[in-house]
Amino acid sequence: MAGPLPCTSPYAPRTIGPRRIRRPGAILPRVTLDIDHVTKRFAANVALDDLAFSAPQGRIFGFLGANGAGKTTTMRICLGILRADAGEVRWRGTPATALPRRTWGYLPEERGLYPRMAVLDQLVYFASLYGQAPDVARRDARHWLKRFRIADYADRRAEELSKGNQQKVQFIAAVLHGPEVLLMDEPFTGLDPVNLALLREAFLELRDDGRTILFSTHQMESAEALCESLAIVDQGRVVAAGTLAEIKRTSRARTVRLGAEGPTLPAWLAAVPGVTAVRPGAGFAELELGPETDPSDVLATALARGVEVTHFEVAEPSLEAIFIEKVGHPAGDAPTLAEDVADSDPDDDAAARSTVRGAA
Amino acid sequence: MTRPDALLPNAGIVARREYRDRTRSPLFVASTIILAALALGVALAPIAIRYLDRETVTRIAVVADDDRLATMAIGVADSLLNVPPAGGDPDRWEKTFALERVQDRTEAEERLATAEVDGIMTVERLASGQLDVRYRTNGPADGVRSQLVGFAAIAVSILDWTATLPPDSQLGAFQTPRFAVESINVPTAGGEPVDQQELASRAFLGIVFVVLIFITVVIYGMWVATGVAAEKSSRVMELMISAASPRQLLTGKVVGIGLAGITQYLAIVIPALAVLAVQDRIAEAILGPTWAAGAPIVGLTPSLLLAYGVFFLLGFTLFALIYASMGAFVSRPDDLQTLSLPLSLLAMGGYLAAIMALGGGGSQGLTRLLSFVPPFSPFVMLARVMTGSVQPWELVLSIALMVVAIVVVAAVAVRLYAAGVLLYGQRPGVRAFIAAARRAV
Repeated sequence: MAGPLPCTSPYAPRTIGPRRIRRPGAILPRVTLDIDHVTKRFAANVALDDLAFSAPQGRIFGFLGANGAGKTTTMRICLGILRADAGEVRWRGTPATALPRRTWGYLPEERGLYPRMAVLDQLVYFASLYGQAPDVARRDARHWLKRFRIADYADRRAEELSKGNQQKVQFIAAVLHGPEVLLMDEPFTGLDPVNLALLREAFLELRDDGRTILFSTHQMESAEALCESLAIVDQGRVVAAGTLAEIKRTSRARTVRLGAEGPTLPAWLAAVPGVTAVRPGAGFAELELGPETDPSDVLATALARGVEVTHFEVAEPSLEAIFIEKVGHPAGDAPTLAEDVADSDPDDDAAARSTVRGAA
Repeated sequence: MTRPDALLPNAGIVARREYRDRTRSPLFVASTIILAALALGVALAPIAIRYLDRETVTRIAVVADDDRLATMAIGVADSLLNVPPAGGDPDRWEKTFALERVQDRTEAEERLATAEVDGIMTVERLASGQLDVRYRTNGPADGVRSQLVGFAAIAVSILDWTATLPPDSQLGAFQTPRFAVESINVPTAGGEPVDQQELASRAFLGIVFVVLIFITVVIYGMWVATGVAAEKSSRVMELMISAASPRQLLTGKVVGIGLAGITQYLAIVIPALAVLAVQDRIAEAILGPTWAAGAPIVGLTPSLLLAYGVFFLLGFTLFALIYASMGAFVSRPDDLQTLSLPLSLLAMGGYLAAIMALGGGGSQGLTRLLSFVPPFSPFVMLARVMTGSVQPWELVLSIALMVVAIVVVAAVAVRLYAAGVLLYGQRPGVRAFIAAARRAV
């Protein structure tokens, strides 16, 4: 069974022990987080339907899917909060149910802190529950707070912080005990660009530190920027999995970047079936092509109409285009609420969820 | 769940946070201070009542035909009614009857009408030589003080009679009779007779204890339920449930809040007990030795306090576990009212049975039965212990059954808690409760 990594401080990443395998190669066995054909039902609703994928150790793994696709349920099964009806979750070959809790760091989608407890006190409290010595936790928490530019809030009550700052505190709570695997449920939701950059930077640093990060998001841009590999789930099933390049190769969708002389881009594009203008603009457009549309049809139509083409590029499809292709609707739209029936409040909107409510 | 989660240290860490969170809240501090002040007030009440009682001096106007009769009546009544306490300091003692001669009967009547005096004692000699003593008072005829005045009238007449005896009379001197009270068919405790005052004291204490145990179990139980519900509604539960097992969380919560409850209880009870322990000295300092005699609360023994402590702990633990699993099933703390009512009624059942047992009402057989049946037994058995007559085996059996009940309820409560804390947006109901418990980890 794997123990926790010896590194505890975010500022002492070089003390990682010899067990760490940063880049799995041909010689060493590929150690992974295995979601091995997991099925979970809530009454009549199937939340996870034979879900299977592997996230390699020491990588950032994107876990994409619409609301209710089964992401939160998968994470809860990893954590042992829920039990799978069939299948198993393993980390480095050991069933998740046999691993110590401190293996995992969890940032739940439902944000929440003790409203009236001081920020630093709660961070130490959560780390203590994971077995971290209070003085070490206190020191590391101060480092993280400083790094996230909220050091001044250490002794403030959580309810006095903005939503974004509370989210950063929760992120710290998830990583403070030095877990091997980080499960982050929508970590970037509701953050401004500055905080988004801070958090992404922390992601990369944690990865370089040997942590395995599995995160779910609706922000395709973040996923594309951070993930080395990913899985797209829909209604409890994996519809695509692999490295980003592998997934892009499986897609039949194409992106065409087209430059042309003349006025606003163009009404004539509507004549080409399966084309969506993602970024239409004067003199330039980025077009998503459906699987049935050939890029050369676009060029041929343009030339036939006498358009003076200044730029024509066939690029890899964006993750968003692939997501829509695989799932059939944009990320964030929820075709099914099987998961919500069991574990979330339908009355709440995303904003309300991230607010600290109630009284301790 | 197969993950081997030892109860400690996480249950201890959770308990410490709960304890601190509870005891540091301004509401806790304020309510503790108010309740402690109230308890002190109750503890000092008997002394205060006696202090006020001491101040009550019965003023009697004595109206007589001649000076000799008046002087004799005042002298005899004064020495008879105002008996200084044995061993007391006569200088600090104040008489309870003030007697003064009023020449004019009309004036005396006026003073009685305006309550300047409490009574008029008229002493007249009839033509037959017999003394006619009347006591006119606004108080009741059979009041203790009226009867004492009657007693004084007899003494006046005896003295008057012996004064008229010739010097060579054959009658001997007046001899006081021997007098003793033999009390039979009275309640006993361990073979020793329990006097009426102690019996009344113990029944009073029993009511205080049963009320206290009921209030604390329900209030501290609700603390547990609202604590769980607040964690759920603030969504901090998501973090907690991944950091610690439901068993650790539930145990920590119940222990932490239980300790906070005990802290408040001790903060209230210790000053009151301290006052009770030294109340004789306080009474003596304030009232003087006459009025300090006789402790107003007798029978408050360490063993009764221990019994209270044991039954409080057992009762609280059982109810807190149920309250915690209820708290896990609501999405908002407001919904707790709906769920907590049946549980409060359960506690109320035990409370009423205990009060009936203390008052001597209700069926003896039912009282005895309920003193073994959880969750009623902490209330009813405590009441039985307070009024005496409980066999040791009965006590052991009652406690053992409670412990068994706690173990069983704890096992179910952990499952309910684990299932409930992740349910949001559902109406709390029995069906949801059972369904969730079934699929709980």
